Parts: sequence; C-alpha cells; structure tokens
Amino acid sequence: MRMKYVLSEVLVGLWRNVTMTIAMIITMAVSLTMLGASGLIYTKVADMKELYFENIQVSIFLNGEVSDEQRADLAARLDADPLISEVTYVNKDEAFKRFQEMFRDSPDLLSAVKADQLPESYRIKLVDPQQYKTISDQYASAEGVDQVVDQSQVLDKIFNLFTAGQNIALAAAVAMAIAALLLVANTIQVAAYSKRREVAVMKLVGASNWFIQAPFVLEAVVAGLFGSLLGLGALVALKKFLFDDALSALQGLFAPVSWGEVFLTFPLMAGVGGVISAVTAWVTLRFYLRV
Amino acid sequence: MTKTYPKASRPSLDNVSVSIDKGEFVFFIGPSGSGKSTIVKMLLHEVTPSKGRVVVNGKDVTSMRSWKRPHFRRSIGCVFQDFRLLPNRTAYENVAFALEVIGKTKAVARRVVPEVLELVGLGGKEHRYPHELSGGEQQRVAVARAFVNRPLILLADEPTGNLDPDTSIEIMRLLDRINRTGTTVVMVTHDSNIVNQMRRRVIEIESGRIVRDQARGVYG
Repeated sequence: MRMKYVLSEVLVGLWRNVTMTIAMIITMAVSLTMLGASGLIYTKVADMKELYFENIQVSIFLNGEVSDEQRADLAARLDADPLISEVTYVNKDEAFKRFQEMFRDSPDLLSAVKADQLPESYRIKLVDPQQYKTISDQYASAEGVDQVVDQSQVLDKIFNLFTAGQNIALAAAVAMAIAALLLVANTIQVAAYSKRREVAVMKLVGASNWFIQAPFVLEAVVAGLFGSLLGLGALVALKKFLFDDALSALQGLFAPVSWGEVFLTFPLMAGVGGVISAVTAWVTLRFYLRV
Repeated sequence: MTKTYPKASRPSLDNVSVSIDKGEFVFFIGPSGSGKSTIVKMLLHEVTPSKGRVVVNGKDVTSMRSWKRPHFRRSIGCVFQDFRLLPNRTAYENVAFALEVIGKTKAVARRVVPEVLELVGLGGKEHRYPHELSGGEQQRVAVARAFVNRPLILLADEPTGNLDPDTSIEIMRLLDRINRTGTTVVMVTHDSNIVNQMRRRVIEIESGRIVRDQARGVYG
C-alpha cells in the first residue's frame, strides 16, 4: 500500500506541474545526449587510433636524381634500423599505379600527371609509431632523399578535431546538466510548496522522513530516466540518419559505430541522469522541507 | 530547563521545572510571548532546551537524534487553533491520511476511522469536506486525527481560539472524554472561561517563569 501511495504521488506530482516536467525532461535529454555522444566519440577515437596507427606508414620520398648507389645505401640502412619493422620499396611505375588507383574517379587529375613525375619512395612501418621524429631526423638529410612524410601527423590533426568535438559535446553536456539541475531544484521546490499542507500533517503525525521525501525524489528520478530514454532515442536517430545515411560515404574513414555501443551508453546516461536528479532533489528538500 | 533563543535578550523559558503525570489534564496559561509555545515545541522535539532535560513518556528526548523524531511523534497527538486539515480531503480521508502515512493499511483505517469519528461526534459526516463543516466540526476532525493513533499525550495549542464559546465548551467536553480514556491532555489557552469551568491543574507562565501551579485552578 505504501509503495502504491508513493508511486501515485509521483505520477500526480509529475502531472500537476506538467510544463515544468517537460522542460526538465528535455534539458535532461539534451544534456545526456551530449554526454552519451562524447562518450561514444571517446571510445571511437581510441578505436580509430589503434586501427590507424597499426597501418601507419612513414614515406621516404627520393629525389629525381638519386643514384643507384645512394638507393642501395639507403635500403641497407633502413633494413638495419632497429626502429623499423618493415620496409617496402615503391618505384615510379608502382607509385603511378597507386596514384591511378587512388584517383580513378578524377580523370582530369590522372591525365595531368605522367608516370615518371611521381617520385620513387620507401614505405616503412615503425616498431613504435611515436618514434617518427627520430626517423625523420635520421633520414631527411640522407643523400638522395627528398622528404620524409609521416601519416601519423596528418592523422593527429584529424584526431585533434575529434577530441575537440568530444570536448565541445562534454562542455555542452555540463552546461545543460547545470540547467537541468536548476530545473529539478525548482520543480521540487514548487512540488514541496504545493504539498506543504500534506507535508506539515505528515511531519506532525510522525510519518518517517523517507516516506515524506520519497515521492519528491522519485519524481525527479523518473524525469531523469525519461530524459535518458529520450537521449538514447536521439543517439539512435543520430546513428541511423547521420552516421549510417548521410555520412555513409565516409564509412572507410571512421571506425564503425555499432548498435551495441549506442545502447551501451544508456546505462551511463540513465545512471548520470538518475543520480543527478536524486541528489539535487534530496539536497533541495534538505533546505526546503527541513524534515 | 532553560531555553534561550539566539538573538533573544532574555531566555524564553528561565529555569522552568514541570512534571506532568500520566493521565493528567493540564492547562498552560499566560500572556503571549510568555513561553507557553516553547514548552509545546519542546514536547514535540521541535526545539531542544539550552539547559536541562525534557523527558516525555519516560524517554529523555533532549538528546534525541532528529531521525528518531518521526517515530517519537506517533505517541503525541496534536490539535491547533487553525485545525490544519487538508482541504481537498473529506473528514474520513483526513483522519485516514494520518494513519496511512505512518504505515497503517487501508483495512486498519476502514476499521478505526469510523470509530474515532463516531467518538468525536461526527458520525454521519465522514464524507464532508472541511469547507462543508462548521469550525467546531472541523476541530472535531482534527481531534479525531490526533487521537486515532491512540497517543499517550494529546497536545492542544489553543484549540478553541477560533471557536465561539458554546462550540468551545463542546470541544472541551470532547477533550475531557479523551482524558478519561487515560490520555494525558496538555492544553495551552487564553480562554479564561474554559479554564474556570474545567477546574483542572493550571500552570501559569509569565516571562519564562512559572508563577503559579495549582491543582484545581482558575484562570486568575
């Protein structure tokens, strides 16, 4: 009977102040969506780093006038270098083939470049991709080397972009969370005010503190959980419409986001939403009800 | 005991010592600001004394932790000048509410509430709302709510303050009847008529001190 009483009080409370409830749920949902999204970005960046860095290459481009001797010399040095795990030589023909392959959709570009214009190169894989600087310093000044290009530098820029996106999402999540928090506090105050007579009588006849507070706290928690459900919905929509449809052309670039990962953000969102609401409501009641 | 409120120049209660036996009927009288309400608040553990002890039902409540207060309150029924009924609930529901929020089942309420409403003379008016009842009837509902849990003590803080003399006397008869069931009744009042008629123990307080404690007293 007590549980039934508490639950019906929760529903009545949410309904009595329905505009506030909706505002609370929406802010909570936006905040939690941001939180979930930044969580997803975080795991994805980690995934992608692993994926990319595994295949990362440093290219040593040779200049046009490189002699056979210089080439052989360089090859020997690369083979002997303990920092390098794998060396592939790409001659001019192969470079052109790769070029044709990569830009087969752009005939203008293809016709503008002739086979012998592309430099020959050594593609090397590092034992530790972070050691790029050492390699670059060692070989950039070697005889016959034009330049040393590290893919990881380009990638780092991309990853910085992702991390920035993640931080923005996180900042937005925090800002919205503060707004949600204030809304919860306000809603609870209004609820406590509209039930002040009942609360006074309950205190008078000796109802236990948890019994007086539970409906208010649960009201906030229910709103928080609704918010997290909406947040999950928003993330599902984001994956479906943005990631799978609109951005599908870029699929090879991003590590794929699975449904499992999307749904795994729900416990995070529900937990954060529920706990924030409960704590805020409880603290508000401390000040406002003084039970 | 002594109670000094912060920022007060003199104590609200100054070295007051009172002992009320089980089953007694006691009036606290005295002008406004004399410290009567402070005594009521102490009995309810709403305020704690600055010095001294408050013992209620054999339990020292002076140092009682606030989380124990709810359970303690169940042994004390309260009636106030302004009734404090819930306007959107009927007489029956008002009384039942007091039972349900302390964990009694609806079945218990169905058995006990009509009984106590009958006792206070409201039989047949169970389903009226407070605004459909007269002041005296509303106070009867309040008494029923205070008494439904069979408390050891009934605290009445100017229960007749809002009622006309005839109605006041009816309420007093009711409190007297409750007192006869063995419930200690502690009543704070300004109403000299009632005190003079009842001829019960009178404790007069002035400026935080007891100036009179008389077994079968009058208002003075």
